[in-house]
Amino acid sequence: MTEKQQEREFTPKIVGFLCNWCTYAAADLAGSTKLEISPALTVIRVMCSSRVDHNLLLTTFFEGADGILVAGCHPGDCHYGKGNYYARRRYAVLKKVMEGLGLEPERLQLSWVSASEGNRYADVVNAFSEKIKALGPNPINGRSDF
Amino acid sequence: MKAKIGIYVCECGPNIGETIDIPRVLETIPALEGYEDVELVPKSFGLLCSPAGKEYLAKEITDNGFTHLVVAACSPRDHNSTFIGVCKEAGLNPYLYKIINIREHCGWIIHDKEAATDKAIQYIRSGISRVLYQSELFERQLEITPDVLVIGGGIAGMEAALSLASHDRKVYLAEKTGELGGKAARFASLLPRQGRGADVIREKIKAVEENEHIRVHLNTELESSIGFLGNFEVVLAGNGDDEKTDLKVGAIIIATGYRMSDPGSFTGYEYADTDEVYSSLEIERMNGGEGIALRSGAKPASVALIHCVGRQEKGYCSRICCNYMMKIAGYFKKQSGATKVTEFFFDMCLPHKADQEFFDHSVGLGIDFKRVKEIGLSGTSVEFAETGGGKQKMDFDMVVLASAMEPSEDTEALAGLLEIDLDERGFFKEAHQTTDPVATSIDGIFVVGASQGPRGVSDSMLLAQATAGRIRCQLKPGGKIVPEVKVSEIMEAYCTGCRTCLEVCGYGAIYFDDQKGISIVNEAVCRGCGNCFGSCPSGALRTKHFTNKQLYREVTEALK
Repeated sequence: MTEKQQEREFTPKIVGFLCNWCTYAAADLAGSTKLEISPALTVIRVMCSSRVDHNLLLTTFFEGADGILVAGCHPGDCHYGKGNYYARRRYAVLKKVMEGLGLEPERLQLSWVSASEGNRYADVVNAFSEKIKALGPNPINGRSDF
Repeated sequence: MKAKIGIYVCECGPNIGETIDIPRVLETIPALEGYEDVELVPKSFGLLCSPAGKEYLAKEITDNGFTHLVVAACSPRDHNSTFIGVCKEAGLNPYLYKIINIREHCGWIIHDKEAATDKAIQYIRSGISRVLYQSELFERQLEITPDVLVIGGGIAGMEAALSLASHDRKVYLAEKTGELGGKAARFASLLPRQGRGADVIREKIKAVEENEHIRVHLNTELESSIGFLGNFEVVLAGNGDDEKTDLKVGAIIIATGYRMSDPGSFTGYEYADTDEVYSSLEIERMNGGEGIALRSGAKPASVALIHCVGRQEKGYCSRICCNYMMKIAGYFKKQSGATKVTEFFFDMCLPHKADQEFFDHSVGLGIDFKRVKEIGLSGTSVEFAETGGGKQKMDFDMVVLASAMEPSEDTEALAGLLEIDLDERGFFKEAHQTTDPVATSIDGIFVVGASQGPRGVSDSMLLAQATAGRIRCQLKPGGKIVPEVKVSEIMEAYCTGCRTCLEVCGYGAIYFDDQKGISIVNEAVCRGCGNCFGSCPSGALRTKHFTNKQLYREVTEALK
């Protein structure tokens, strides 16, 4: 198989942690509008983006995710007040950790998608899938020598 | 006992039936690897949320003796509660069930049927794997007190009290000053169509005082409050004496109103006390007494009414000034039809359905309206530029200023005491400006009237009555409340007592146990967002129904 063919064959595995109130609802809206969305993404519903801690994200990478999307309410719109601000801080810290692990920081994306933004949800997911596809497979998948 | 999981795929009419190859899904499930010790029973049904579907599912749960249930259907936002109901009816703890959204996440968005089916199988695998790690949770019922504390005896607070007080619900009304009525009691008239202000307010005060289910505490302020919806323990303290009152209430309504900002503090309005420059409240007072006059006793022949004072600095419109300035213009015209009245405004705000009519009426009285882009005072000389025009100067006998409404002086202290949020303008913050306008960040604490932003009497009444409705629904006398079950808990052995979780919790749901040196979650207050979990450096937290194990199972299956 040539390198080019390999690239074409690569289907990324992406996990999306979506907050129950905004982005999960946006995914529902995108669904009921029947927008076409990349099957690369698997949605995992959490109540708030602030629940998504570093362990969960790193475990997801170690288990082989090529990309992770964390998505919640827009700043100021968090159902719980300030959860998304905390999520943003934790995300910024983890980006640094990822560099140390030899994992491209772009593999982790934080996006704000409100309940009414079905189109934006589809765009965010599809663009992120393309980005991860271009990055290729997760380099630390299965490694345990850290 | 060997686990036996029922897996029910809903066809959802053609929505899933035609977009996903259900027979292939059903064939695949029994052959899944890693479930040798588990009995998997996959079936499909036409429309599980229909009455026939619910009956079928309940019967299946009972007949098969399922230990767990997975329903592959629509979004949990649509029918999670439907199937929770079915589980309860069939005697299965609903936290041992999971809904899998194969409609919005597969059938509808993956337009290739084979690919959609593969994805659906993957999601169902995740669901089966997760549900095995779910645990039973039990709802608790808590006794409540239906009584209510209202802070602030202005029009909003009185209206809330009157709307709530009844033979089975006591209302305590705490007013900081020595009398009820608030600012509106000082208006000679409300807007023209609302009748004489003093009369309307006097009637309300009388109704409050005569109501045997309302207890009024004058010269009284809130000293402390702990608790949650249905169960607040508050202490009121007299501000002139040492008298303390302990109360148990189910809800707290904040109705502390506003204050007028000092116009002299805004650029362009620096004036001396001896100048003939007045606030709208001073005009109200004169109009209600001897009549509006200059310091010499003479009646003014010309008057400038300036709207929007401080609006630019404050960054918001006070909403009521345009209306009440037109009302004040009417006082002058009534006193003497010859008085020359000029109103200066940046933007005209006419938010209610009768306001346009009032404006047209005011124009008919001969009041001159000037829309300006800049304005300043020098004594009673007004320098201004109209939109699209150059600078001009006009001299008047008297100037009246409509200064911006701002939060009343106790707002910040009260917010701190009750641990609720203020918005960037310093007013109390609603849970959601559009969809939840009277609630606050804490369940059971409500905010009405001008304490949550500039508004007039009629809008304040509206919020007061709305809040009363909310409380009547949430706190029925003799009723109970069921707190959130999917809450956080702290595993004592792992907690290092760093208190990070106390910092991040937006609900004050975590407290510190000094004796044990650890943090503890008050489960009746926790809303289950999981922010504390994300902040805990020692892994002492657990978010029920969203535990690490449960989420890891979902992740692992997704990545297989």
